[in-house]
Amino acid sequence: MYLRKSLVLGLLPLLLPALAYAEDTVKIGVIQPLTGSVAYNGTTDVNGIKLALGEINAKGGVLGKKVELVIEDGQCKPANTVNAAEKLTQRDKVVALIGAFCSSATAAVMPVAQSAKVPLVTGVSSAANLTEKGNTWFFRATETDALLAKSFAKILVNQLKLKKVAYIGVNDDFGRGGVEEFEKQMSALGATTVMKEYFEHGTSDYYTLLTKLKASGADGAFVAVETQDGSTFVKQKAELGLSTKVFGVGSWATADFMQLAGPASNGIYAAVPYASTMKTPKNEAFVKAYQDQYKVAPGKYSAAGYNTLNIVVDAIARAQSTDSGKVREALLKTDYEGPNGHFHFDEKGQATGFTVVLVQLENGVPVVVESNTVEK
Amino acid sequence: MDLLLQLVANGLVLGAFYALSALGLTLVFGLMRVVNFAHGELYVIGGLFGWALTVVFGWNYFLALVVVVIALGILGYLIDQVLVARVRGQGEEPTILLTIGLSIFIANTALLIVGTTPVTVASPFASKPLFLGPVVITQARLVLVVICAVLIGAANLLIQKTTLGRAMRATFQDPMAAQLVGIRTPRIYGFTFALGATLAGAAGMLLGSIYVVEASTGGIISLKAFVVVILGGMGSFAGAVAGGLILGLTEALWGGYVSTGYVDAIGFALVIVTLLVRPYGLFSRRAERA
Repeated sequence: MYLRKSLVLGLLPLLLPALAYAEDTVKIGVIQPLTGSVAYNGTTDVNGIKLALGEINAKGGVLGKKVELVIEDGQCKPANTVNAAEKLTQRDKVVALIGAFCSSATAAVMPVAQSAKVPLVTGVSSAANLTEKGNTWFFRATETDALLAKSFAKILVNQLKLKKVAYIGVNDDFGRGGVEEFEKQMSALGATTVMKEYFEHGTSDYYTLLTKLKASGADGAFVAVETQDGSTFVKQKAELGLSTKVFGVGSWATADFMQLAGPASNGIYAAVPYASTMKTPKNEAFVKAYQDQYKVAPGKYSAAGYNTLNIVVDAIARAQSTDSGKVREALLKTDYEGPNGHFHFDEKGQATGFTVVLVQLENGVPVVVESNTVEK
Repeated sequence: MDLLLQLVANGLVLGAFYALSALGLTLVFGLMRVVNFAHGELYVIGGLFGWALTVVFGWNYFLALVVVVIALGILGYLIDQVLVARVRGQGEEPTILLTIGLSIFIANTALLIVGTTPVTVASPFASKPLFLGPVVITQARLVLVVICAVLIGAANLLIQKTTLGRAMRATFQDPMAAQLVGIRTPRIYGFTFALGATLAGAAGMLLGSIYVVEASTGGIISLKAFVVVILGGMGSFAGAVAGGLILGLTEALWGGYVSTGYVDAIGFALVIVTLLVRPYGLFSRRAERA
């Protein structure tokens, strides 16, 4: 009896601040892949979000309250992601949702956000059709494959003189979307397709693909993959002594990519919505803060996470309310300046106004070759 | 012609790597009737441990390899004596559930300790291209193929020629009779599992120097190893080697002449066809024991 009493008394001080804390915060739900094959990229996104959280709370939070994150692991699987979204909206009563990385997972969450009437903001999912579904609660603070292709096809064909192009992509929405959009835009400018191949995520041996690339006689290869696959690909390309130019979309301009690929990454071009070498005052401050916290330069997904939380909190501040309908209204009037330029949303929830860059990797530094503002 | 030669060379190298990855799995199944779903995760432990020693602590590659081999042997022995022994003799389902649970446990523990960043084992072998006529290969891959062959040969010798190997085979053929002639069968099971884990870990460290290793790599490794083992026949050494080479060559030729998009599916198509024609795999001599 005594034991039970002392246990309860002992636990009370632990519980009380938790209860008090719960009432004094603005809760925002985050769904990212934290385990499984996309865990690496999901974690860098969350790192960006946490950096923004620290900055926001250091300035006193929003509406006089601290911002609190409720982070769930969706594993990029639609079923797990939907479960996480339901938990966040029903039990945690979050004001807004950020997620869910993979386009297929985000698509699965969109109806949940709509029926719970909670704004859902993604900084990553790039499948073009997401903003075409007529879901008024969905916002995308990044480029689509089509927008990126429109910005860069001309540079690749006219300035880098690509005539015969090989298209290679990871076998999912992201890889297929990237390949199809770039092929469409570049073919329209006169480039011919000499090869088009897909491979499974997590493939470790690219010798067959590279042998085929060599035999195709392409003078440039467009490759849509993420860090792990991309770094192995360029390493093995160097092992086979291939001199074909490579242009990537995905998380190529990151410190981890260049470290994994080593010298093989030299000379590679990447079309990305963010590079740590972008020359804006906002970005220099962001890079410094990120490096102080994580000891590595931020990549595309770190910036995406950082931007999405800032955009959501900015909307809450302008709405002067945590009412999700008012937050949604405020999101539509967004004018946020992030490390990679300005973000506005159109009526479909698609962001424009931010900057995308073509970089060339040189000794571990992504050197900006060309930059473009994404227009409607 | 040049394309064909290069594809065949790629396929044979890949096949040798597949054979090495699958060897421990076929050994543990053949001698113990344990379908080890944690095989890929033991590979990951070998790769991550090899990375920690060579990159984080800057050890010599060969010294690290020896340490990885010994450590995985001890780990395998402990897994058998502490976990697998509890469900021994209760049929295959409990061991299957046990190893599936173990694989999830190992993968997530690795994620917790090492994080999500993929890593590469530091290797002393050059990865510059060597041009052998029309075929391009690297020194690192050639050396690895030789090490694979040596490891496979050594494991085979151990089982066929040594007293320990004879005791292993005797235990597999008739555990009761083996016990009657004085073989301590629980220990033999432990040694067998240790040998299987050692081979998985060695494969992880060796291949971790040319590919990347991360906490979630185990799934795909287990999958390929199962394809190889089923192709070659559960428990057959020659089968694992042949199965590996067949899978490697098929993937390379299919990828080269048809499409790389469904290369992973081709392995399973091969397995289905093989099982239709030879239900126990290509190299299994016996019918399945009850």
